[in-house]
Amino acid sequence: MDMQHVDAERLSGVRLADEHLRQALLGHEFLILDGAMGTQMQARGLAAPGVVPDLLNFSDPEAITEIHAAYVAAGAEVITTNTFGANALKLEGRASVDEVYAAAAACARAAGARYVAGDIGPTGALLEPLGTLSFDAAYELFAEQVVAADRAGCDLILIETLADLREAKAALLAAREHTDLPVFITMTFGEDGRTFLGTPPEVAAEVLSSLGAHAVGLNCSLGPDELLPLAREMARRVRCPLMVQPNAGMPRMVDGQTVYDVTPEQFATSMEAMIAIGASMLGSCCGSSPEFTRALRAVVDAAGAPRARAYEPALVLASAQQAVVLAKGSARVAVIGERINPTGKPKLQAALRAGNFDYLVGEGVAQAEAGADVLDVNVGLPELDEVATLSHAVDTLASTLTLPLVFDSSDVVALEVAVRTYAGKPLINSVNAKRESLDAVLPLVKRYGCAVLGLTLDEEGIPPTAEGRLRAAERIVEAAEAAGIPREDVVIDCLVMAAATNQDEAREILRAVSLVKERLGVRTALGVSNISFGLPQRGLMNATFLAAAFGAGLDLPILNPLSARYRDVVASFKVLNGQDEGSRDYIAAYADTVDPYAPAPATGTTVAAAAAAAAAAAPAFAISVPPALADASEAVNAMIHHILSGQKGPMAQATEALLETHDALDVVNGIFIPALDEAGERFDRGEFFLPQLMASAEAVKAGFDVVRARMESAPDAAAPAAQRTVAVATVKGDIHDIGKNIAKMLLENYGYNVVDLGRDVSPEAVVAAVQTQGIRLVGLSALMTTTVKAMEETVSLLHERVPDAAVIVAGAVLTPEYARQIGADFYAKDAAETARIAERFFAS
Amino acid sequence: MAQLVRPQGITLDRDEALRYVGYSGQAISDELLERFETLAQACERDLHPTGIWETFPAHDAALTGILKGEAIANHLAGAREVALMACTLGAESERELRKHMALSSVDGVLYGACASALVEAVANAVEAQVVAAAAARGLRTNFRYSPGYGDLPLDVQPALLGALGATARTGIACTADNFLLPTKSVTAIIGLFDADTPVPGGRSACATCQLRTTCELRRKGTPCHGHATR
Repeated sequence: MDMQHVDAERLSGVRLADEHLRQALLGHEFLILDGAMGTQMQARGLAAPGVVPDLLNFSDPEAITEIHAAYVAAGAEVITTNTFGANALKLEGRASVDEVYAAAAACARAAGARYVAGDIGPTGALLEPLGTLSFDAAYELFAEQVVAADRAGCDLILIETLADLREAKAALLAAREHTDLPVFITMTFGEDGRTFLGTPPEVAAEVLSSLGAHAVGLNCSLGPDELLPLAREMARRVRCPLMVQPNAGMPRMVDGQTVYDVTPEQFATSMEAMIAIGASMLGSCCGSSPEFTRALRAVVDAAGAPRARAYEPALVLASAQQAVVLAKGSARVAVIGERINPTGKPKLQAALRAGNFDYLVGEGVAQAEAGADVLDVNVGLPELDEVATLSHAVDTLASTLTLPLVFDSSDVVALEVAVRTYAGKPLINSVNAKRESLDAVLPLVKRYGCAVLGLTLDEEGIPPTAEGRLRAAERIVEAAEAAGIPREDVVIDCLVMAAATNQDEAREILRAVSLVKERLGVRTALGVSNISFGLPQRGLMNATFLAAAFGAGLDLPILNPLSARYRDVVASFKVLNGQDEGSRDYIAAYADTVDPYAPAPATGTTVAAAAAAAAAAAPAFAISVPPALADASEAVNAMIHHILSGQKGPMAQATEALLETHDALDVVNGIFIPALDEAGERFDRGEFFLPQLMASAEAVKAGFDVVRARMESAPDAAAPAAQRTVAVATVKGDIHDIGKNIAKMLLENYGYNVVDLGRDVSPEAVVAAVQTQGIRLVGLSALMTTTVKAMEETVSLLHERVPDAAVIVAGAVLTPEYARQIGADFYAKDAAETARIAERFFAS
Repeated sequence: MAQLVRPQGITLDRDEALRYVGYSGQAISDELLERFETLAQACERDLHPTGIWETFPAHDAALTGILKGEAIANHLAGAREVALMACTLGAESERELRKHMALSSVDGVLYGACASALVEAVANAVEAQVVAAAAARGLRTNFRYSPGYGDLPLDVQPALLGALGATARTGIACTADNFLLPTKSVTAIIGLFDADTPVPGGRSACATCQLRTTCELRRKGTPCHGHATR
């Protein structure tokens, strides 16, 4: 499918005012947009403090029309309605969204605009996860504006000056799903070349143009010279015309007035460079005037027709902050980390069942540090609601890590829910050559502008030969293109079979990788470790196969990046394919390492010796060794020392050793609990400060984890009190969750099951969780005086709906008296006290 | 238009960060100190603070809705001009905070304290610019006064950010309950006085603080403004 075909496909079903607009959207003709509205309002004295600019469409339509008309006279074809802040949130009921757009579009028409662009600015509120506005709420705000703009007779929708890619996606989806008018979208970047939320231009360009915007670009913030390198970065990635609306240079203060430092002539000269890199939709932003439009018009007329953009076809996977780019013709490889997948991982399974998504962050960070470029996310467990779980997992990972993600699920609904709100371009894992699969998955990939992983299996199963796999791959690529997905967005996985059972296929798989890559020009992936099932020394076999597959043309190995063998192969191959320029990374990583095959001298101290040394260094403690552990007093003292000095490192091994000869309950009740109590008392006396108390708790947790693992493997052992569950939450309106997090940690380390409801939690949500999970004790935290009210509401709703649940309240502004006054059952002055209250509560 | 500042090479006050998490001279193990120092350095290395400030005539309409209550009126009594300022550690600080908290609560708490100390240092740097610009014009200043001090309510935050254009230019936003986002952000108001006008107010005082009855720092005699309780 060539680019021309792609362009025509992009415009099918789009309502276009005339042939010139059509040619402009195909990139064949220039389109001139207007310039600053705010600056012109200021120049006319319309922008007094307290004036809502969008309401001037009613109060002073002549002035707005006059501003528009001056831009029309100067040569602007597109006039942008004065509706930058016209969403329901910002209007606050002063006018309806509908009437503002109607009045604004009327002003633009009256000015003689050839095309009227219904302008949509940011919501003005920060979206989750950083802020509190939900994706769906933002989508609804934008949808209302889109419908109003369409109804007002606009010729196109212009979404502009966005800094949050997730918000931009909400706006773009709202537009695509509520109108058949063309949609233009621009984001705004700072001097560091990123938006406030850290999105670089190439990511904005890739994600928004893949999502089906008809023009994508950048506006505001900087002058044309400063924006040029950013526009160039975008030009390589946009699949639609590139739009540029710079400010009139950089603002400066002169005698208390803001002035911009670029003249209309200088602006026009700088815009010639924009034309040279292929920008074809041009206008100006803050600080500009119709003079800028006139000068711009002159250089556009002189240029005649747009220049070709330096578009570079590539497989791009992106988070909101970074992109992994495998450009056509380049030999780069990228590692997909496979560890976030519960198959065969009991700890991950347990974490998912308990809703402990922090565990996923740990797995993600470990893989990122070990060199993964992309993270696969699979959270499929039969007993879990995959729709909710996948969404939650993706949100958690996207708010803590910057690596692009692979959404790995066979549940198309779960995929859609997760992909809809994801700020980035994920790889969908997976589709296969079966008609049913192609029909279910490809429309989703197209609609949300994703890349897709295609498995070479069809109705007959996995073809055993390379040619058979190639045919299945062909079917997938053809179906993708028919669905409007360009082939650079397709990755083919030729499916690895175990060498132990299908030895003949090993060579066929490698040949299939080469064939698919050469014949179809798509990128390839393989789940490497499948090769070694049933053989000893699997790591050795995996590493050899990985090297062979790289040789055959593998681009995206799916593997465990924590395996040093894999890392060795990847690092050395990156020298061979030229990705590691000058072998710099390889030398940095391996220059001082020892060949693992070389015989190593025996060194190191024994665990026992280390424990003895630690015990010797330990000062005397107030904890006496319990009788059941009397025969191991040295080890017990060493452990108490680890706990009270906050060292989690040695705890697992020490606990393991002690459990060989002693009962788990004795270890818990004789060491963990008393040591933790001692840490709590020291904290109370001021001998420990908070992080010391927490580090002690963390050390206990390392020991507890070992105890728990033992108990789970011995099902008849005493289960750790299942009913000892505590829900914790920061109340509605409060986003300060640190106190709640500390309490959660301490409670967990006393062995409680803690249900963390998060921050900014409504009274209803607290009650719902407590009711559905049968929870008897709830901890509420509020930091600010302003949110204590919400705490009171939560307490009273809980007592009304769940009379047998008790509530602990805590927070900087609370006092015992106030806690009583709002009806709380307990007041805790800090996290340590919360733990003691819980102890008393469950003992009674 | 307000002045944008990108302070470089700002270091955070280690003692202050430790004080935020309750440190008052306890013996700390080397392991914990090392962990703290690693996180402090990560904070300084990875975050990119931004600040913004602008001065207005004392009775400028742009200040409407910002100077609420007696405390700020006293603070600005006799001022010729009023400087508004805001600064932030950026969206990245939120992501890093969440990451550290997810990996380990200890790291999360320590990182949060470091970030608080860092944004305080950034606020000092922005304030220093205001003071220097005022001094260059022969004006004197008093200390920066933030929403939440005394009876200056948090609900002036949207107007304060609006007057600076801070949301559009630094990305600082406000929740419906008037908390700043990113959470590691600071806004403040500074008075600019003619050389012959008495400058009101010493440092911030516990006497007018809403938290005075419950404040742990005050109880320990180490209040947030770093001086003995008054």
